[in-house]
Amino acid sequence: MIALEYLLLIGVIVCAAAAPLFKRLLTMVIVYMAFSLLMAVLWSLLQSPDLAITEAAVGAGVTSILFFLTLKRIGALKGTKDE
Amino acid sequence: MNKEPEHQSRWQRLVSWVDGDREPKDQSLFVMERRPPRDFRPSEEEHDRQERRRLNWFFRGYPAVAILIAAVLVGVLLAAVLEMPAFGRADNPINNEVSERYLENSEEETGSTNVVTGMILGYRGFDTLGESCVLFLAVTAVMMLLLRNEDEDGPLEPEEDEGHGDVILKQAAWLLVPFIFLFAIYVLLHGEVSPGGGFSGGTILGAGVILFVSAFGQRNLRVFMDGKTYRFVRTFGLLLYVGLYGAYIFFGANGLPNYLEGMVLLIDLAVGLVVACTVYGFFALFSKGKI
Repeated sequence: MIALEYLLLIGVIVCAAAAPLFKRLLTMVIVYMAFSLLMAVLWSLLQSPDLAITEAAVGAGVTSILFFLTLKRIGALKGTKDE
Repeated sequence: MNKEPEHQSRWQRLVSWVDGDREPKDQSLFVMERRPPRDFRPSEEEHDRQERRRLNWFFRGYPAVAILIAAVLVGVLLAAVLEMPAFGRADNPINNEVSERYLENSEEETGSTNVVTGMILGYRGFDTLGESCVLFLAVTAVMMLLLRNEDEDGPLEPEEDEGHGDVILKQAAWLLVPFIFLFAIYVLLHGEVSPGGGFSGGTILGAGVILFVSAFGQRNLRVFMDGKTYRFVRTFGLLLYVGLYGAYIFFGANGLPNYLEGMVLLIDLAVGLVVACTVYGFFALFSKGKI
């Protein structure tokens, strides 16, 4: 269990550090989504399932959708089907 | 004697500036740097060279300064974290009489088995009321900015209204949406017993509606929710919360009479409605400008 926690912590740090370094905004949002997902698992390991549910729904779900919409609006989704 | 008209005119000037009728007298703050007048100006090449040198300095210095600031910030935060007491120790400052009281008395005082829900909606219900108001006002502001005016912009394009044509998305949504709704309602209504509650349940409900709309289009959503219903549900949620929590405060905010046992459940429902409407409203307004 401890090993899993350390693994998740390292993943969280890597995601947080990697998110601003990508050139493509789409990749950035997806990495940010991964960050939220890892964080949600960590919350449930830290025995706060309420926060875990909210983090998974808000952080990994709704925020990313709003980011994608914004990217679509400003035309930053080049190379995908929508552009 | 002399001051009054001066003040008056200043006030009027401020008013006219706020209204956009006049420019402020001193424009130096709002105008970008001008090139110096012609007699003092160096030749064109000299000017270009100077500009380029300045830009070079800027682009060389910017990353260095950015890294420096980030390193200092990270250092300060890490130092602060190292000073914090170890996680989960019994004599930590958070384990004081407040949390003890919450853990021991929340079930009988708020009527909810889940302490977190009891805290959020019972003891700290006034905070949550403020948060709900913030969400409500945020959607209202986005509506004012982005809501499509049918008279000026015309109705939606038909293919925009029909939803995405993607087969995979449609099949996956057809399979998933009922379960997402079921789970959302479970989290929403079971929040006082199990993890979850208004915020998380409402978000899941809103996300389910978003999935439905992006797969099948807003035309199909209008079967059970159009703009009028949306507005009604949103306002109804907030008003329900205000009414219930007002009653809770009125009864002394400490221990509920028996006939109000299920109040936390209803407040949960109200928060969930507000949150779900917020989530879906942001999506609909951002993507189509119409609810």
